[in-house]
Amino acid sequence: MTQSPNLQLPDAEGYLNRVIGELRTLKAPHKNTLVSVLEYLSDHIRLTRSEIGALKSGSGNAQVFSTTTDELEEIVTETARATNRIMDAAESVEKVAATLEAGPAGTLMDAVTSIYEASAFQDITGQRITKIVRALQSLEEKLASLTSAFGPLEEAQPAKPEGDAALLNGPQLEKSAASQTDIDALFASLG
Amino acid sequence: MSLNKNMRVVIVDDYTTMLRILRNLLRQLEINNVDEANDGDTAYHLMQKNPPDLVISDWNMVPVTGLDLLRRVRADAKLKHIPFIMVTAESKTENVVAAKQAGVSNYIVKPFNADTLRAKIVSVFPAMA
Repeated sequence: MTQSPNLQLPDAEGYLNRVIGELRTLKAPHKNTLVSVLEYLSDHIRLTRSEIGALKSGSGNAQVFSTTTDELEEIVTETARATNRIMDAAESVEKVAATLEAGPAGTLMDAVTSIYEASAFQDITGQRITKIVRALQSLEEKLASLTSAFGPLEEAQPAKPEGDAALLNGPQLEKSAASQTDIDALFASLG
Repeated sequence: MSLNKNMRVVIVDDYTTMLRILRNLLRQLEINNVDEANDGDTAYHLMQKNPPDLVISDWNMVPVTGLDLLRRVRADAKLKHIPFIMVTAESKTENVVAAKQAGVSNYIVKPFNADTLRAKIVSVFPAMA
């Protein structure tokens, strides 16, 4: 048997199986141990390819990474929006407090200060989510290189949810979400 | 200890929410002369045009980080004397050491409170402390 000069990972399983087949035809006394080891390697390559194929198509969406990234970025946007509304309200309270007597004004100002301090959560969570997004992007790149190294894979078809479970897809991303006006129009059109 | 209410402060953060928080907390300290920048580069150009009395900057920004900004400020003859407070979620020892080596005047870890902000501002002006 001649060895391919450029043996690739996708060929490795077939190559090993050919070696195993040829070894079995030999009458060497200790071949069984070697055959067992090679069979183990062959099985391991097959299992790994299968697992990577399943991972590539897992979670019911070939674009699971980009979808997850979008979801995480939406969290940052939504929390920023909510935080700004909270601060709008706090700033209004602060203006009213400035018109009051020292006692109640002081109490209100302390409360407003606490709101400003607590609003920093948006910055902290935003930074943490950004780190997660970067980790996901790195994972996606590594998975792409791994799947490329293993050659064409049979992607397992993920089980699609059925019945009521198929209706659970929210919350919608803002860029693809229907507005209340859209919903009202749809609702009205249904009679 | 009283603060110089007329001081001009440049605040730098890539999160507009944090800029708003800082501006509001500074207003409560009666410091109203505040300019904002969303990244280190913009802040540096803002400072070159009109040097402030104090810089309060985040660390984790792109492309010019707060540490880069600090180094630029300390290397600039016109700006190097300006007190520079780093306000950041980076709290590892090596971060604090690097900032100190780059010439930071004080260091605030997020999340922080108004008392800490006030104390750190007072601390970077020796005449007030």
